[in-house]
Amino acid sequence: MIMRGSLAIWMRDMQVLRRAIFSELVAVVAYPLTIYLAFGIGMQSYIGAVEGSPYSLFIAPGLITMTAVNAAYNESVWSLWFHRRVQFTVESYRVTPISVSEIIIAKICTGFTHGIIKGCAVGLVIFAITPFRFPIEHLFNYLVFLIPGSALFSCAGVISGTVMDKPETIGKVEAVLVMPLIFMSGLFFPLSSYPPDVLPWVRAIPTTALFEGARRALVSGDMSTLHVLQVSVSAVILFAVAVWIFRRKMAE
Amino acid sequence: MPVPAILTKSLTKQYANLTALNSFDLEVAQGSIFGLLGPNGAGKTTLIRILTTLMRQSSGEVFIDGLDIRTEGRRIRSMIGVVSQENSLDRYLTARENLVLHARLHGMDRKTYNRRIDELLELMGLSARQKDFPDTFSGGMQRRLVVARALLHQPQLLFLDEPTTGLDPQSRRAVWDYIRSLAGSMTIFLTTHYLEEAEQLCDRIAIMDHGRLVALGSTRELKDRLSGATVYEIELERDVDQYETLLRSMPCVRDIGVLNNRLQVTLECWECLSEIVTALNGAPVRSISLKERTLEDVFISLTGAGVRE
Ligand SMILES: Nc1ncnc2c1ncn2[C@@H]1O[C@H](COP(=O)(O)OP(=O)(O)OP(=O)(O)O)[C@@H](O)[C@H]1O
Ligand SMILES: [Mg+2]
Repeated sequence: MIMRGSLAIWMRDMQVLRRAIFSELVAVVAYPLTIYLAFGIGMQSYIGAVEGSPYSLFIAPGLITMTAVNAAYNESVWSLWFHRRVQFTVESYRVTPISVSEIIIAKICTGFTHGIIKGCAVGLVIFAITPFRFPIEHLFNYLVFLIPGSALFSCAGVISGTVMDKPETIGKVEAVLVMPLIFMSGLFFPLSSYPPDVLPWVRAIPTTALFEGARRALVSGDMSTLHVLQVSVSAVILFAVAVWIFRRKMAE
Repeated sequence: MPVPAILTKSLTKQYANLTALNSFDLEVAQGSIFGLLGPNGAGKTTLIRILTTLMRQSSGEVFIDGLDIRTEGRRIRSMIGVVSQENSLDRYLTARENLVLHARLHGMDRKTYNRRIDELLELMGLSARQKDFPDTFSGGMQRRLVVARALLHQPQLLFLDEPTTGLDPQSRRAVWDYIRSLAGSMTIFLTTHYLEEAEQLCDRIAIMDHGRLVALGSTRELKDRLSGATVYEIELERDVDQYETLLRSMPCVRDIGVLNNRLQVTLECWECLSEIVTALNGAPVRSISLKERTLEDVFISLTGAGVRE
C-alpha cells in the first residue's frame, strides 16, 4: 500500500497541532496537575505510603500515562467525528486517489502522536515541580508501555468517532467507559485493594496491564512481558478492528 | 467512437426502504457540459456520490471513462475533480494550505503544485486572501476556493453539485464564466436547481425525479419536445372559426386551440411564422404574441408543481 495519503493527512494534523501547541499543552497539563496537587499533596498526610512509596509518588506515573492515553483517545474521537460530520473533510480526502485505510491510519497516528507529546509534557512538568524522580534508564522501559498504550487508546477513539454520529454520545461513552477504565486500573490505589475474587478479572483488562505495567516500569524498572504483551496485542487487534469498522462505515 | 465520459446502466441505489436511484441509464459524452436538474430529493447528490466513488450502488453498472467504478476507484479518483454540495473546506488550514493538502493527496510534487496554486488563486481572485482561514471568507469566496481545489490536479472530468447555490448574481456569473472557459478541455457534470444556469451552460440537460430520468436532451429539444414547440397566441376581432379552419389546414401548424376569440397556434418551428402571417393577410388581427415555454415550464410540467418534503 502506498502511504502517501496517510503521510499528507498526518502532516496536516501536525501542522494544526503546532499552531495551537501552547494552549493545547496548558489545557492538557492543568488536569493531571490539579489531581496531583489535590491528592498527592493535599491528601498525602491522610493516606501515607502505598506499596512502600509516598502517595504522591505512587500516583505520578499513572497521571502521566492517563494524560497520554486520554489525549490519544480524545484527539482521535473528536477529530474523526469533526472531519466526518462537521467539516466533511473526510469526503474531500475520499475523492482523491488514496484509500480509505490510509485515512484511518493517518488518524490513528495523529491520536498516537498527541498522546505521546502530551504525556511527555506532563511528565516534564511533574518532574520539574515535584520531588518525583526515577532512574533515566527506566524511561525506556516506560515507553515500551506508553507507545502501545497510546496506540490502543487512539484506535479506541477512532472506533468511537467512526460509529458515533452525535457529540453527546461521545461524551457519554467517555463518562461511562473510558474514565472508569482508567480510574479502576490502579491509578489511585494498588490493585491489592480489590477483593481477591474480582482481581483476576480486573487484571485481564488491557488498561490495568497498561497502568500497572507502566508504573512498575518507571518506578522500579520492572518489565512484565505479560503486561507488555497484553497491551500490545490489544492494540494490534483494536487497530485491525478500527480499520475494518471505518472501511465498512465508508462503504455505506 | 470514443468511450463516453460517464456511462451508467440500470443504476440503482436503495437506502433501507427508499429507492433513491431507480434503473438509471445515462451517457455523457467526452468534453461536454452536462446538467442534471431535479427537485429536492430527486437523487442528484446520490448519483454524484456514486459516480465519484463515495458510495456503492445497490445494483447496475457505472463506467467512468470506460473504467468500472467498483474495481478502478483509485484510477478514477485520480482523474476526477469534485465540488460537493457542502463546502468541505478545512477551517483549521488557510486557503493555500487547503490546496496544498489536496495536491499532496494527489501525489503532485511541490514545484508543480505551487505554480498551479498561484495560478488558480489568481484566477479565482483569492490571491490576496490565501493566508486567511476559509471561515473568514464569504460564501462566494469559499465556493470559489472549493472549485479551485477541484481543478488543482487538472481533472478530465469535473463534478459540480449545485456549484452556485447561495451565491449572489455576480459571483454566480463569475463561476459560470469560469465553467464556460473550461468547456472543451474537460467534461463537466453539474447539478443545479437554477434552470437559467442549465440553460446558459449546458450542452445537454437531464431532468430527474424520484430517482428516475424523466427527460434528456438539449435545452431546445427539451422545450420543443416536451412543451409543444413554439406557441403563438393570435387574437382576432371576429371570424375565429373561419381562421381556425384555414390555419389548421396548413402543414406547418402542429396544433391549434381556441379560447374565446384567441387562437393558440402551435408551430412546427418558429420559421413558419411568416407563412401564418401571410395567410392571415386581411384578417381582423388584434395581436399576435409569442408564448414561448421556458425550461421552468418544462421542469414543472415534468416534475409537478407540489413542494417536496
Ligand atoms: N444517507 C442516506 N440515508 C437514507 N436516505 C438518504 C440518504 N441520503 C439521501 N437519502 C434520500 O435519498 C433521496 C435522494 O437524496 P439526494 O440527496 O440524492 O437528493 P438531491 O436530488 O441531491 O436533493 P437536493 O436537491 O435537496 O440536494 C432523498 O429522498 C433523501 O432523503
Ligand atoms: Mg443534493
